[in-house]
Amino acid sequence: MNENNLNEAPKKEEPRVPKAIRQIVSEKGAENERIVAAAATDMNEACQYADGFIVLTEKHLFVFAAESESREPRNFKGYLSIKDMERERDFDWKCTVFENDSIKKLKIEPQVAISLLIMEDENGIERVACVFSNLHRRKMHKFVREFDRLPGREEKFPEGEEGAPGKEKHKLPIGGHGPGGPRGFGGHGGPGGPENEEDEYCPICGMMYPNKDRKVCPRCIDRKTIFVRTFKYFARYKALMALMVLMYLLVALLNLVWPYLNGTVLYDYVLTKNEDFLLSVGIKNGDFVLALFFVILTMFMARLMGQLLTILQGVFTARIVSRVVCDMKKDIFNVMGKLSISFFKSRQTGSLMTRVLSDAERVAGFFIDQVPYIFIHAFTLITTFAVMFKINWKMALVALVLEPIAFIFSFYIRPRFWNAFGKRHRAERSINSQVNDNLTGARVVKAFGQEENEENRFVGTNKRLKDAEMSIVGLENYNTLVFSFAHGGAGILIWALGAFFILGRHTMALGVLITFTGYVSQLDGPMRFASWIFRAWADSMNAAQRMFEIIDAVPEVTEAENPVPLEKVEGSIELKNVTFGYEVNRPVLKNINLTIPAGSMLGIVGRSGAGKTTLVNLISRMYDPEEGSILIDGIDIKELAFRDLRRNVAMVSQETYIFMGTVEENIAYANSSATKQEIIRAAKLASAHEFIMRLPDGYNTVVGASGRELSGGERQRISIARAILADPKILILDEATASVDTETERAIQTSINYLVKGRTTISIAHRLSTLRDADFLCVLDNGEITERGTHEELKDLKGTYFKLMELQTKALALRE
Amino acid sequence: MEEKEFDLEQMEKETEEMLRINMLTPENAKFTRTAGGFVSLETGGEKYPRVQVVRMFPFTDPGHFISIRTTEERSKEIGIIEDMSSLDADTRKMLEEQLNLRYFTPVITKIINVKDEYGYAYFDVMTDRGECRFTIHMGGSDVVHLTETRIIISDLDENRFEIPDVTKLSATERKKIDLFL
Ligand SMILES: Nc1ncnc2c1ncn2[C@@H]1O[C@H](COP(=O)(O)OP(=O)(O)O)[C@@H](O)[C@H]1O
Ligand SMILES: [Mg+2]
Repeated sequence: MNENNLNEAPKKEEPRVPKAIRQIVSEKGAENERIVAAAATDMNEACQYADGFIVLTEKHLFVFAAESESREPRNFKGYLSIKDMERERDFDWKCTVFENDSIKKLKIEPQVAISLLIMEDENGIERVACVFSNLHRRKMHKFVREFDRLPGREEKFPEGEEGAPGKEKHKLPIGGHGPGGPRGFGGHGGPGGPENEEDEYCPICGMMYPNKDRKVCPRCIDRKTIFVRTFKYFARYKALMALMVLMYLLVALLNLVWPYLNGTVLYDYVLTKNEDFLLSVGIKNGDFVLALFFVILTMFMARLMGQLLTILQGVFTARIVSRVVCDMKKDIFNVMGKLSISFFKSRQTGSLMTRVLSDAERVAGFFIDQVPYIFIHAFTLITTFAVMFKINWKMALVALVLEPIAFIFSFYIRPRFWNAFGKRHRAERSINSQVNDNLTGARVVKAFGQEENEENRFVGTNKRLKDAEMSIVGLENYNTLVFSFAHGGAGILIWALGAFFILGRHTMALGVLITFTGYVSQLDGPMRFASWIFRAWADSMNAAQRMFEIIDAVPEVTEAENPVPLEKVEGSIELKNVTFGYEVNRPVLKNINLTIPAGSMLGIVGRSGAGKTTLVNLISRMYDPEEGSILIDGIDIKELAFRDLRRNVAMVSQETYIFMGTVEENIAYANSSATKQEIIRAAKLASAHEFIMRLPDGYNTVVGASGRELSGGERQRISIARAILADPKILILDEATASVDTETERAIQTSINYLVKGRTTISIAHRLSTLRDADFLCVLDNGEITERGTHEELKDLKGTYFKLMELQTKALALRE
Repeated sequence: MEEKEFDLEQMEKETEEMLRINMLTPENAKFTRTAGGFVSLETGGEKYPRVQVVRMFPFTDPGHFISIRTTEERSKEIGIIEDMSSLDADTRKMLEEQLNLRYFTPVITKIINVKDEYGYAYFDVMTDRGECRFTIHMGGSDVVHLTETRIIISDLDENRFEIPDVTKLSATERKKIDLFL
């Protein structure tokens, strides 16, 4: 390997490449070329898994394919370890070399679950360069981007030379970097950059984290930590907890004394008139009636105390549980508020609700209803056995012998409980989301007469829940049966043995046997408890795990730790090489460059699905771009505090959000200190005042979820009023007038015209008439800006914008 | 510039084109293999150097209603093949190769192990393409029931695996994936 190119400029770090591959690359005549990019592949064209590799040097592209099929198991994310990445791949490599200059285009074509890298040669013939599963898609996309950025490529193979009239070839009036503009952009190392690759693996087991933003390895986190973490919630209530445990202990002590009082003292001392006993408790004259009275009184008091203590303990329990549950829910809601939208999109909302409402309760319930009992019952168990052994060790042994069997059994079926609880949770979740769907979509269901079908669907889901519950009950019964058997068996044995001792050998008093059986039945509680503690443990840890999954979730959009303060905002916006996709395989925005000077208005047009909403969502940081950056007044929005950003960027969107509350509260949402006058003025400006005044309770009308229904246009006008009141420096209108009639639109248009004064505005609209006043316009198509300029410039361009314009004027002409 | 004047008729024709259902039969469509291993199509006097082959009902009717489309990202439908078996063997093979690539989904034949840890389930399975180990997220909807017995599993990267009939699995294997059934 010849790597001592000393006269080269400071070298960029080369991507990691197996030695064998590097060797072949050198042998094939590229020893002096820097490796620009490299990626592994895992399939061949015959649809088999097979190792491969692809390497890009400054002048060549090398495609490697393993000659022999590998029989090794394929490890996908979650099983992939750092070792897999560093492993030397000693296959018989078949290598094909291409000159970069002979490749007209390299592109990735996603299939349903795999992707093809397609290479187009100078003659326009397309062929498959390699095939790879989604495991490698991120690196492959990076690979293709590196290829496109090779020096000289854009001159040789200019983009969009297919002659589409829309392609950007004219002067760019608003910012943007033309072809050959600055490439690469420092800062946040793009995802999957080699420098931070190790961070994606768990340092303990070397496996890749399932979610790279949340550095928790599901394998290495053990269930004990779940327990400990849950316990911490209780640690805050030390005093209450101590009191509660004290109650428990007292009850246990009382329970321990009871059989002794009831058996030995009552039968053997008092009823058999034992003088020594009387003397030892200080009753003279052999007054057995008095003694009996005292014994019964003591027994009565003991029971009474026991009951009182139990009640008190219940009170403490309730107190602790409600506080802990409240704490847990608070934590969950706190996190949910911070999480980005994508978290919610990837989970059923119904599922979140079950979690928040029931998991916390389940967990806390376990800790209160079960955990203290572990100690209490252990205490009872040990002391009871000690006493039993002291009374008669032979009988104690008999009592003891059967119990462990049951115990082991229930330990053994614990995983089945764990599974059953998981299953029940899933079924509950489906039911919740279905009910949710049906409630929100009730109108559609009725409109299409689908009640019966929905009912059938529900019956199906419900059956799943029933089955899950049944299997839990079945397991419980099974468990109980074994325990009753062991325990009941022990009881019968004791009686039989006792009868033998008393009647056959005369070595035991009746009172002792009664005491003894009393102790045996005292074991009943702890044993029954033991029989289902494992079940309860499985249930609660299952719930706790789900709860912590939410609490631990890391928002994908995070606030800077030391945000740059934003004092006086001008409102200029700049997008630099912004690339973004909801799924890695399908970029929705591709390398967008855009500059919007402070105070100007930009209009965006484009067909639905072009990525317009996505673009403005990035500006308000609902998501972060995958690549590139967005600057407000020259500051990357990632550096800004959420508060500053949200205060300065307001959005009136397609999806209006009306929350449960009065009209007034809804308008004052972003500015709760607004005066009544300001609210009314905002409503007037949004043409909302008139319809609000027609509502029965005016500004105090309750709207939203369970309140009064508003029409689409009415909701939109409320959200415009909200934006007016928020008084942001940057205003985003995403089809703000989409659901209002033409007349109202005119009215709103006037208010918007007022609204945009002195602000930077981005307006997305289908009706071009709405964008009359825009300083600049751009056409977004398929994630790219295909046309940009002033209204006049675009008209002269005779591209998409022109087409749309003509269509709309003709349509109007036809109508009028 | 003149020819670019707005032409309402032209647009209406385009719209009409978009709405028409164009059935492809061996008589009106000729598929040939390209030098790069793809498929090209000649139909209605037009030649398409490469076409995409897409199923309309990939799960419920993979052999019927095949959409032949252009290859741009915003692809357009060229025509529909109603029944694959109406094609000659050569053409069918050619199109099936494309379909196989497009719908690549390993079929799970044996469940070796499934472990559920902290919100993720780790699968170790044998498929018709060899042993695969992958991970799914328990919170999402990564296990999709196409029918009572047929399921599709998507892993963290959305790689797909299929179990065509869960009842064909052994009782112990079914128990391992019981949680998802
Ligand atoms: N949350 C999401 N997850 C996945 N894909 C999405 C999501 N939101 C939008 N998309 C997709 O992104 C593309 C652009 O959507 P959008 O920006 O809403 O378009 P527009 O506002 O221009 O109509 C569409 O293809 C849409 O299906
Ligand atoms: Mg939109």
